Amino acid sequence: MRLNLVLELLDIPGQLTDAFEPISRLGANIVTVIHQRDVKTERGTVPVQITIEGDKDTLDMVIDTLESQNIQIMEVDGVLRKEKIRTIFIGNIVEKDVKDALGRLNNIEGVRVIDFNLKIGDDPEKSASKIILEADSGKRKDIMVKIKEIGKSKGFLVINEV
Amino acid sequence: MKICILGFGAVGKGVVKAISLKNDRFKEKYGLNLKVVAVTDTSGAAISNKGLDLDLLLETKEQTGKVSNYPEYGVSGMSNMQVLDNAEYDCLVEVTPTDICNGEPTRTHILNAFEDKKDVVTSNKGPLALNFKELNESAVVNNVQFKFEASVGGAMPIINFAHETLSSCDIDSILGILNGTTNYILSRMAKEGSSYEQILKESQELGIAETNPAQDVEGIDAACKTVILANSLLGRDVSYKDVEVTGISKITPESISLAKNEGYLIKLIGEVSGDVLEVSPRLVREGSPFAVDGTLNVATLKTDLAEDVTVVGKGAGPLETASAILSDIISIYKIKQCNR
Ligand SMILES: NC(=O)c1ccc[n+]([C@@H]2O[C@H](COP(=O)([O-])OP(=O)(O)OC[C@H]3O[C@@H](n4cnc5c(N)ncnc54)[C@H](OP(=O)(O)O)[C@@H]3O)[C@@H](O)[C@H]2O)c1
Repeated sequence: MRLNLVLELLDIPGQLTDAFEPISRLGANIVTVIHQRDVKTERGTVPVQITIEGDKDTLDMVIDTLESQNIQIMEVDGVLRKEKIRTIFIGNIVEKDVKDALGRLNNIEGVRVIDFNLKIGDDPEKSASKIILEADSGKRKDIMVKIKEIGKSKGFLVINEV
Repeated sequence: MKICILGFGAVGKGVVKAISLKNDRFKEKYGLNLKVVAVTDTSGAAISNKGLDLDLLLETKEQTGKVSNYPEYGVSGMSNMQVLDNAEYDCLVEVTPTDICNGEPTRTHILNAFEDKKDVVTSNKGPLALNFKELNESAVVNNVQFKFEASVGGAMPIINFAHETLSSCDIDSILGILNGTTNYILSRMAKEGSSYEQILKESQELGIAETNPAQDVEGIDAACKTVILANSLLGRDVSYKDVEVTGISKITPESISLAKNEGYLIKLIGEVSGDVLEVSPRLVREGSPFAVDGTLNVATLKTDLAEDVTVVGKGAGPLETASAILSDIISIYKIKQCNR
């Protein structure tokens, strides 16, 4: 069978070879690769479309191995594997230890913090931080509840997506 | 059809004005002739079972501030209960201020009218957010109509729309911007990058926010409306106290600008879904149905058959709110015609 994957690679040399290595090692064939370095995501990563061929077990193993090597698979056969969840915390970001909150967000299963932005207000209480998480598809609701819990436990006002 | 109006502020006057503007049209279109037989404010009442002169009523209130100064039929100090006992009316329009501690005195007015077998139309959120079940049951027991379209979203159609136009559907959840004042403040903060305090002050000067803005900016008003939707459209049995409420007074220009960089806006959203009953600032995508500006209200109903249906409209204003009240009155009139 064939599988169409969209990988998200950092724009640095060697990324593509790293991604290919487990595919050929596990015995899957690479059918096509579309790699346009000038097309970038908003975060500056490069999406790579790749079609691989092999039996189901091999292909499953390829996906597991790629993910265990921290190579981001965005789509499998047109289905999103990851989705972004955005949130904003308002409050005294420095004093209330936003780093600890980020750590706890990162520890939620299937969740990775991929972007963090901070704006310190004139009044430190009015500082705001934007956090973007990447999470396994379909878990948005549960994760949003956890984000709220973590933010609130630090005394932040949590602004989640609708 | 004879109308008794309790409360003669923005909405009460709007109703009288709208009747004055449209009564001829209603006669022509529906054969409905509306007569206002009593009006009250804190000064007392104007009451005449033959019907009051609408323009004179507005003029009297405008010039003296008291309906009780209405020539010949004005009665100083007459209470709402005395009016309800003495007026010969078919339909009560309850438009006194919203009280969210115990829903009074509106609750008592409405129950009293029901027991006298009168229909009731209200825009008052207090008793709907606190005593919905009691009021609804009393209306059923007394076999009268109880309508409150204007209580949520002013002119934005939602309650009757869901009950009638979407009657084939079950509604799974509702998300909406249900307060015009906060939407106005947040929209301007997003456009101008100014502080919450600054825009609130300007909104107060423009008469968009009240001198005591707490009901709006702390999310209380939106929470009442969320409860009304939960009870009337999703069959819940919840009260104002069950809502998790966060207002907008802590929203900063910094947070709005961080959201904007991502293509998002911050809006005060009421949500009823699953076990969620909350009002809180949320991120909405620019260009999505929730990205409405100014004092507009919007709500998306998630239904089983029709999927998502979104309604938008003016959330407040005298004539806008009066439009919803008059539509309720007309639909009561139509129901009565059918039952004859
Ligand atoms: N404004 C809107 O656009 C809007 C939209 C949707 C729903 N609503 C709801 O509609 C209701 C009326 O709103 P509004 O804007 O018209 O309020 P408002 O302008 O403050 O007017 C309230 C009126 O009620 C009178 N009143 C107060 N206590 C009374 C009492 N115990 N008995 C008799 N009359 C009494 C006041 O008398 P005085 O004139 O003597 O002070 C005033 O005429 C509220 O429940 C509000 O939440 C308003």
